[in-house]
Amino acid sequence: MTGPHEPRGLSRRTTLKWLAAAVMATPNYRQYRSARAQPIIYEPVSKGYGRDPDLNHPIVPWSRTMTARQLQLTAFLADLILPGTDSTPAPSALRIQDFVDEWISAPYPQQQVDRAAVLEGLRWLDAEAERRWQRGFLEVANSQQQQLLDETVAEYQTIPLEQAQQPELGAIFESVHEHFFSRFRSIVVGAYYTTQEGFRDIGYIGNVPLASYPPITEQEKTLLDTELRRLGILVR
Amino acid sequence: MQESYDVIVVGSGAGGGTSAYVLTHAGLKVLMLEAGRDYNPASETAMFNLPSAAPLRAAPTPDKPMGFYDATVDGGWELPNEPYTNAEGSEFHWWRARMLGGRTNHWGRFCLRYGPYDFKPYSRDGLGVDWPITYEDLAPWYDNVERLIGVCGANEGLENSPDSPPGLLLPPPPLRASEYFVKCGFESLGIPVATARLAILTQPYNGRPPCLYATHCFRGCAIGANFQTPTVLLPPARSTGNLQIRTRSLVYQIDVGKNGSARGVSFVDVHTGRHHSVRGKAVVLAASACESARILLNSRSGLFPQGLGNDHGLVGRYLTDSARARAAAYFPALEKLAPRNDDGVSMFHMYVPWWGYRGQARKELDFPRGYHIETFAGRVMPQMGDMDQYVDLCEAAYGSRLKEEMRSKFGTVFSFLGCGEMIPNEQSFIDLDPAVKDKWGIPALRFHWKWSEHEIRQVAHQRRTFLEVIDRLGGKPLDGTDTDGARAIIPPGNIHEVGGVRMGVSPRDSVVNSFGQTWSVKNVFVMDGGVFASHADKNPTLTIMALSWRSSAYLAEQARKGDL
Repeated sequence: MTGPHEPRGLSRRTTLKWLAAAVMATPNYRQYRSARAQPIIYEPVSKGYGRDPDLNHPIVPWSRTMTARQLQLTAFLADLILPGTDSTPAPSALRIQDFVDEWISAPYPQQQVDRAAVLEGLRWLDAEAERRWQRGFLEVANSQQQQLLDETVAEYQTIPLEQAQQPELGAIFESVHEHFFSRFRSIVVGAYYTTQEGFRDIGYIGNVPLASYPPITEQEKTLLDTELRRLGILVR
Repeated sequence: MQESYDVIVVGSGAGGGTSAYVLTHAGLKVLMLEAGRDYNPASETAMFNLPSAAPLRAAPTPDKPMGFYDATVDGGWELPNEPYTNAEGSEFHWWRARMLGGRTNHWGRFCLRYGPYDFKPYSRDGLGVDWPITYEDLAPWYDNVERLIGVCGANEGLENSPDSPPGLLLPPPPLRASEYFVKCGFESLGIPVATARLAILTQPYNGRPPCLYATHCFRGCAIGANFQTPTVLLPPARSTGNLQIRTRSLVYQIDVGKNGSARGVSFVDVHTGRHHSVRGKAVVLAASACESARILLNSRSGLFPQGLGNDHGLVGRYLTDSARARAAAYFPALEKLAPRNDDGVSMFHMYVPWWGYRGQARKELDFPRGYHIETFAGRVMPQMGDMDQYVDLCEAAYGSRLKEEMRSKFGTVFSFLGCGEMIPNEQSFIDLDPAVKDKWGIPALRFHWKWSEHEIRQVAHQRRTFLEVIDRLGGKPLDGTDTDGARAIIPPGNIHEVGGVRMGVSPRDSVVNSFGQTWSVKNVFVMDGGVFASHADKNPTLTIMALSWRSSAYLAEQARKGDL
């Protein structure tokens, strides 16, 4: 299947604005190296929810802006990051792609920086798959998808933190996909585990009213005492 | 609004709420002016709401800087209509709330009494100044506050962290499993661990229900199980029939009559933009340390060309904040714990009180004064952004292995936050910015800030202590490994700012006396953190309230005698 790969609202001037904002707002931006695709332009819209929103009846006042293709790519990648199992849902089943859309469409600085990284990263995956295999990222074989993702991750992981510094504006053009992986995963992981299903998956069992707070159990204490003995903290 | 009141109280937070409670119960007619909007915790608190029900999963934004569900209304480090500035080289972040109850709606509820040493620091080490009162002077007022608001904790006979009278404290919640683990680590290094004291009910108290051990206190509490003035102090004050509250009323000036007494205050209705004046026989400033100093500085007249109470140039001087550093670590041992409910009372159930008094007496430490350590841990409700710390611990970058690893890493990160004493210095103060004004044309504050070597060395010690206990417990530090104090210290704006209108023994060393009464105008009082002569490591709210109660009782007595 091929869809509209190009998102709406292109303008080189806006892109430069976005990227400048990204440089300004991200203190530990990683050093970029390889030369790759050209970035695209995505307009933020609307205002935020204001400084006094109704906490019990929240609304998201801005519109989502992703194209169908971007949503497909997002859902697909999110499911690669935290795949569904027999007992836990896949991110796409929780509509995490819609949340990523909400996130990158929001008019706040962090979200706008992420918007540039996410949309450019999604675009780059398609463009790179096209360049190598003449098909979009969703259309190439699983092994090719995996290969591309692994290369992105490997490159992201081999950059020593000490090298992290604010790059020249031009450098961002070359490898937004590296920043993309880190930010995209952060948004997906955060979105997934902040749901009731995510709570269950990761073992968060609070947020329920209790009549009293239970003390540490004998079993927990025995287990921790064993560890404390191993560390030489408890001697008995 | 009437034409005249007995007392005008400016601000509805810890200081103003306490003052209004005491004054109205003494029979005085009180008008409370609050700059922010009315606020009803019972209907507005987002109890139990999930992150997934909020925009952006409740992540912090410039609109809600501590997250969507934070109780703070119209607040943050930057308010659109109310700017402040920093002098060159200074970096102060000023947190404000604009709502009934002020910052009491979202505070941490950590309630430590100042101890005997904290009131006489100069006598002990020759630095800073002594307070004009002793611990014994304030102890009965601490008792009053704790008895009224309900505090859980334990009397453990700590040095310089006084016990409460027997039977006053509510039972503390038991430790979380991870807290037990870390407690053993500290104790094996000879560092004591104490029970946290929190303004959170663990039993029914004065008609209020106890904590439900769920949903974070930062959100506020719809059932009134923790302390915030709109649930605990303002309803009984109102029920006396003596309290009137006017919200959205930003006070900017104390009006002084020809006789040199305060006539009342001027304020702007931030809704309509209209300016008003109201009369009172006495004025209590409790607008927050910096805001109260600003009002005094802006109260310029022929009698007080430099601002009210500022004859000796002391208003705004000696601003302090907590000296803080943090660190976080991953503890593999905690991976073995099965999922458990770590919500508790949402705050830490234990803390490390300052333990270095003897070391300092033996000159083993290279800094004076001390700090306590707050610890944050366990399987707390996942928040947007917080999960990255666990992702970073996983070997797998993505896929089912990542999901698997996340389950074992969750709850294994423990973070440590030092909270230390700052000694007042000449370089840390506020004045009026010569150019910048707020939306209503009122001169804005300008912050000047410099930590001294004392705080820098102390914070380095905080970091070394964190690393020591992390290592002892087989942990792996995740951040906060730099032990250079100048780099480790968290920039000021830790929401513990006090001073600026300090109390003392004479007009030459202070702005107010020990009752918060300005030396120059006897019917003007300051009853917030501004009056602190120095800033112990202990979080200031309980002391603000005890001082406010003491000062309000004095004010009421003066009013009764007709001596205002």
